[in-house]
Amino acid sequence: MIADRIIEQGTLTTQDGRTAVEVRIPWYRAMPGSCIAGAALTVDGVAAPEDSLRWTMNNRTFSFEELVDETGEWWFPLDSAVLSGDLPVAENHSEHEVRVDLKLYIPYIITDHGVLHIEEHDTKTMKVAQR
Amino acid sequence: MTSLGTPIQGVTLYSFTRAFHARQYELDGLIRKVAAEGFGPGLEVIGFSSLRGFPDRIDDNFVGQFRDLVAEVDLVPTSLAVNVDTGIRRDRLMNHDELVEYMRKQIEVAARLGFPIARVQISLTPDAMESLLPVAEKYGVTLALEVHADQHGAHERVLALRDRYEKLDSPLLGFTADWGATVTGFAPSLLEAYRRRGASEELLRQLVDLWNGFYAEGPPNTQKVHGERFGAFIGLAARNGRPDLGIDFGINGTGLFGPAPIDTWLEIMPWVRHVHGKFFGIDANGEEPSVPVRALVRQLVENGYSGAISSEYEGWHWNNWQDPFSIIRGEQAVQRSAAVNAGSAMITDASEARRILNSHLAQPVRG
Repeated sequence: MIADRIIEQGTLTTQDGRTAVEVRIPWYRAMPGSCIAGAALTVDGVAAPEDSLRWTMNNRTFSFEELVDETGEWWFPLDSAVLSGDLPVAENHSEHEVRVDLKLYIPYIITDHGVLHIEEHDTKTMKVAQR
Repeated sequence: MTSLGTPIQGVTLYSFTRAFHARQYELDGLIRKVAAEGFGPGLEVIGFSSLRGFPDRIDDNFVGQFRDLVAEVDLVPTSLAVNVDTGIRRDRLMNHDELVEYMRKQIEVAARLGFPIARVQISLTPDAMESLLPVAEKYGVTLALEVHADQHGAHERVLALRDRYEKLDSPLLGFTADWGATVTGFAPSLLEAYRRRGASEELLRQLVDLWNGFYAEGPPNTQKVHGERFGAFIGLAARNGRPDLGIDFGINGTGLFGPAPIDTWLEIMPWVRHVHGKFFGIDANGEEPSVPVRALVRQLVENGYSGAISSEYEGWHWNNWQDPFSIIRGEQAVQRSAAVNAGSAMITDASEARRILNSHLAQPVRG
């Protein structure tokens, strides 16, 4: 697992109350949307509301509810996805603590308790990137 | 008497996951690097790791480029590792027909790219393997089901597969033997990684003791025993005030470091079509401290094995302080030395490897 690379340094953006950051898969192989089971985006200790979170990969944007049935779009290990949510962040030059939590299902490992899932998180400090 | 085997040297790109994920190499650059380093001639690739759009969007243009590159750098495709993603849907597991079609698409890509073997995984039952035999025959691809910790060559699920293979009597159904099933110690580099995460020497001592106890007891022959051991690692971490390390202890202690004796491989040796030379690091003496590489190579040679061994470095999960390329170089030197000590040699010449692999497998791939 490569959890220390989930957040792409320097990719924090914010506009009109929506905040986004680029994320990398902490796993060695591609996963379909249906295996991206949940995420959280927290900046300076404030979490974006769960129902405001959106996931963008391969130029398509999904709610996490829509990802449940999505077996056609895959998150490739070299590609950044974008996690965004309703979260006002001051666009000044101060540093922000960004935390991303991810829950992934590992579709080929079936345990006595169902399909294995992993929960990973990463925290990085960065300024809002200038557009 | 069985004549001595001549295993083919090779590598899986999985060994370089950390460098690939860090975008230090594109796929073609990584393949060129592998060839230039002399890590071949055998080349193994994981479809879902290395191939964008696998398996549905692999077009003929990509297939042509891949085949041209492999020919140019004189590597020999050995195995395309494919995945049995039974749990891809959230509402239920795949049904039988869905699973066969899911595997068929991946096996077809293996054939198109020129891989004579598709590595498949343990969640395929004997019935599923029997259903996939016509697919293997259609594409001329050998299906080599990976025997990986926490299973091993004498595990009940593996023996059930072996018995079905024996009944079906097809040269296209076999196993990939992963050396991680037969490990002799907890990898020192992982202990070092836990140390860097603040684990105390006392906790690490208890961790090693727990694993050594399971090693002494022998491998788990059932899923129930496996589950109990997984729980013991979680309990150990919790008792020592580090519950955050529990799942990691359990996954690695049971799923990477399998404690089976190496003679368990003899249960399935005639069906071993491919080998993952799983290892975790090379020490200051140039040896693998926790995987008995020398004994495993000797065993393959003495049992007449002339398929490929893909060096599979898995220390990358935790080792971010050492260069994976020099670690692979070190492990392959151990393999070559061990083969010579056993009275044979690893095959490192590409044309010889093609000839030997063709005769090791039943029939050439029909791409």
